[in-house]
Amino acid sequence: MSGLDQLRRDLGAAMSGADSALAAADRLCQACVELLEVDGAAVSLVHAGSSQGTFGSSGELSRRLDALQFTFGEGPCLDSVRDRTPVLVADLADPTEQRWPAFRGAVLESGINAVFALPVAIETSPIGALDLFCNRSGALTAQSMSGGLLAAELAALPLLDLMAAGVAWDSAGQSDHGWQQLASLARVEVYQATGMIMAALDISPTDALVRLRAHAFAYGMTASEAAWAVVERRLSLDSDDWRSEPGQPSAGSR
Amino acid sequence: MTGTREAEVARSFVTLASSLANGYDVVELLDELTTDCARLLDVASAGLLLADARGVLHIMAASSEQTRQLEVFQLQRDEGPCLECYRDGTAVSVANLDEATDRWPQFAPAARSMGFASVHALPMRLRDNVLGALGLFGTEVGALNDDDLALGQALADVASVALVQDKAAADKAIVNEQLQTALTSRVTLEQAKGVLAQLGALEMTQAFTVLRNYARDHNLRLTEVAQAVVARSLPAQQVLDHARSRGSSRA
Repeated sequence: MSGLDQLRRDLGAAMSGADSALAAADRLCQACVELLEVDGAAVSLVHAGSSQGTFGSSGELSRRLDALQFTFGEGPCLDSVRDRTPVLVADLADPTEQRWPAFRGAVLESGINAVFALPVAIETSPIGALDLFCNRSGALTAQSMSGGLLAAELAALPLLDLMAAGVAWDSAGQSDHGWQQLASLARVEVYQATGMIMAALDISPTDALVRLRAHAFAYGMTASEAAWAVVERRLSLDSDDWRSEPGQPSAGSR
Repeated sequence: MTGTREAEVARSFVTLASSLANGYDVVELLDELTTDCARLLDVASAGLLLADARGVLHIMAASSEQTRQLEVFQLQRDEGPCLECYRDGTAVSVANLDEATDRWPQFAPAARSMGFASVHALPMRLRDNVLGALGLFGTEVGALNDDDLALGQALADVASVALVQDKAAADKAIVNEQLQTALTSRVTLEQAKGVLAQLGALEMTQAFTVLRNYARDHNLRLTEVAQAVVARSLPAQQVLDHARSRGSSRA
């Protein structure tokens, strides 16, 4: 088995057994530190219309540094989400680095000299970023970079569930290997059902996917099973179940 | 029959070649490829998996619902002929699935239970890169004859060339980017079908036809129309209205 296959497996296993989406995000960040030659990691949710912020971290410093971006309104993680591309800063102390003056100063002061922000996306929509922090300046190795991209992919799962705030983290559903859950979201029927929910509720693709997954959890189904039920019109999209914001009492109106 | 088949083979290549020359939609092209394979080769159905930048395979097209499920099954269980074909970059041929239970303890019984008896997987290749795999599923026990195998590989090769639009793309990164674009197009197309199906109370196949006709009648690419529907820059109702007026003008 190649090193990357092993990384893929280890990262996927890292989240299993967590009892909440927040705990899963923390575990994933801790796994990044153990496996990727970085000193800290944090996951933040940056999705229009949702509460934004840092939701997972490998430790207190990483959480604080990641959160600074929201305080200052600037930082590689925000740029990474906006531009849908990794933002790699191998040497934050480089005087020509002037993109985020407030954030940069605070991070350097904490002894961090390199920051790598990788976008987290669901389907086609960017929803957040994974920040990797290093004490020493220098680029990520190819292996760490590949591992970071894998971790960013996995980070979509807890972020998706945080967007559906209040939905119970289904321990049965979450005990599956993270990659299997991602695979169950990357299916044709899920895309089709997402489109139907978008049209029925007049919401974005990402929000539609959040509702689908929340509905699946609430009724003990996989995302794929819920999607089939929608596509085959066994599940009505007119009910309040779908209309209400996930995790909030039914508003009963559009 | 042979004459008819030759004419159909020729037509398939002409279609593929003309889409290469005229600008084409990757999703539509690969859909046609699997349909062509199922029709022209001695197999019941065909499915196509493409790899993303990290070598993770995704289903791109399938000529039947069962095939789609079987392809997804391989991805989920991490075993099966298409995965092996992709990993090794060489064709995998199994004339009798009953004899493949040791090789694929999960896939073989699943395929048998769906009524398939044989399977062949052909690599989608572009120079040194393996882009994905084309799975051919038969309902009868038996190996594909050499002509069919050669024809299947030829169709897969043409599709591989089509998939990577920049013919000079020696760079793996560019190849990956274009594959990723194809995969994203597929997601958007399915979402757009869902939007139209919901709004127009259509079946998914009808929604696809409505979308494709709108694209053709307006000289647009299918993917462009799908993106516009999902982004709501093209009202879904307008696409449905077009289908209705098209239908009534024919009647």
